[in-house]
Amino acid sequence: MITCKNLTHYYGKRLIYENLSFNVPKGRILGLLGKNGTGKTTTINILSGFLKPHAGECRIFGEEVQNMKPITRRNIGLLIEGHVQYTFMNMEQIERFYAPFYPKWNRDVYYELLKKLNVASHQRISRMSCGQRSQVALGLILAQNPELLILDDFSLGLDPGYRRLFIDYLRDFAKSEGKTVFLTSHIIQDMERLIDDCIIMDYGRILTQQPVNNLLEKYFQYTFTLTQGSLPYFPELFYPTISRGRVEAGSFLRPEEMRGMLDAHSVPYTGLKWTHVSLEDVFIGLTGKY
Amino acid sequence: MFVFFYKEWIKTRYYFMAAFVLSLFFCIYCMLNINRVIELKGAAHVWEVMLQRDAIFIQSLRFVPLLLGILAGIVQFAPEMQQKRIKLTLHLPCSAEQSVGSMLLFGAGLLAMLSAVNLLLLYTFLQRHFASELVRHILLTGAVWYVAGLTAYFFSAWICLEPTWKRRLVNLLVATGALRVFFISETPEAYNTFLPILTVYTLLTAALPFWSVSRFKEGQQD
Repeated sequence: MITCKNLTHYYGKRLIYENLSFNVPKGRILGLLGKNGTGKTTTINILSGFLKPHAGECRIFGEEVQNMKPITRRNIGLLIEGHVQYTFMNMEQIERFYAPFYPKWNRDVYYELLKKLNVASHQRISRMSCGQRSQVALGLILAQNPELLILDDFSLGLDPGYRRLFIDYLRDFAKSEGKTVFLTSHIIQDMERLIDDCIIMDYGRILTQQPVNNLLEKYFQYTFTLTQGSLPYFPELFYPTISRGRVEAGSFLRPEEMRGMLDAHSVPYTGLKWTHVSLEDVFIGLTGKY
Repeated sequence: MFVFFYKEWIKTRYYFMAAFVLSLFFCIYCMLNINRVIELKGAAHVWEVMLQRDAIFIQSLRFVPLLLGILAGIVQFAPEMQQKRIKLTLHLPCSAEQSVGSMLLFGAGLLAMLSAVNLLLLYTFLQRHFASELVRHILLTGAVWYVAGLTAYFFSAWICLEPTWKRRLVNLLVATGALRVFFISETPEAYNTFLPILTVYTLLTAALPFWSVSRFKEGQQD
């Protein structure tokens, strides 16, 4: 559905990423996770044709995004960061404006979602709360009935209730209609409930792309105590922290492999424990706290 | 195209209604002035002043279309650049030329209508008091100001849609210099021979906002 190959982009002389490549398969909900400044919004801007990358190309439905036929955009729903919409319109006016552009427009979906909001239909969007605006933006995308949804930081400014409403509606829509979703969010807890696959980005590169279930299954959070000396460098351990001899680190090594590695390097340790953790902890484990 | 007109009307209707009232106010003010002079000193005196002193009696209108054009561009396109809202328009399943072109056509169309109403009102009033040569003399002088208003609208759209502040400043300087052309001479009918060229000049400035949009789509930013 989406194919990006060897994307390289700079802002001035600052390199954002180099040779970034990824695919988004049809019918999956894929979340792009990364700390601030790793290039999530840059990627969304490139995908939606609002930024020309320094090198590389992105294709959606097989078409190069910079030269995409306008009619192809009928099948791409775009949510701009901050749920930006035409705030000078009210709920009815904005629905009337968008409807003629999309042959598969489903106004019932829009009004069904908006019934949950306690607002009058003639109330201007600028006078709505951020949560209410997010529902208007989502309702418009769902009514458009696109094959692909691209959502940039959908959780920005939403309280837990609206975030949950947004996620439940979106997941139900995407799964029941077989839609593909590519999204970013800075709240990783939300992603765990929503996405099938994830790409975790660090500065300038992709750390991993895989189904969330796989990732949660393969990743272990280890703790053990060093009985003497210090911990040697192991590339298999991500951002180990040591406090009073107690080591905490994440790794894709299975427990027996972990034990084998420590023994092979004669690391003096005791009390090795491991546990599976949430997606947020995996994310922090892979990218570090700072 | 009409669906864009619908959106633009919702966004700008209060401004254009106010602009219409303001321009009418200035037209009526000019007409009342002429009426007062005719009542006090007679029509013959007014004719004499017009012929001997190059007075046209609608001087108060000189900068009104310019101001209305600049404000129309700001009212219509500044909200599009807040939070980069123009992305919504550019993501619609139609070309940027069609969407932005429709928006410009809406603004320019309303300004042209407003100008036509003003000139028609002045014509109706003036032809009751003046010979047709004098009416032509006044309206041709005023027509340049309305063309300047339309040009100012396109320049204003060009500046508002430009994605970087540095370039916006450059655009502003270019626009100020280019608009100065319309106001170099105060002599009535000084622009008569240039009026067709100025109209072409205005039509060419209509292409500038598309240049800003194309820079936006490339991702130019501060």
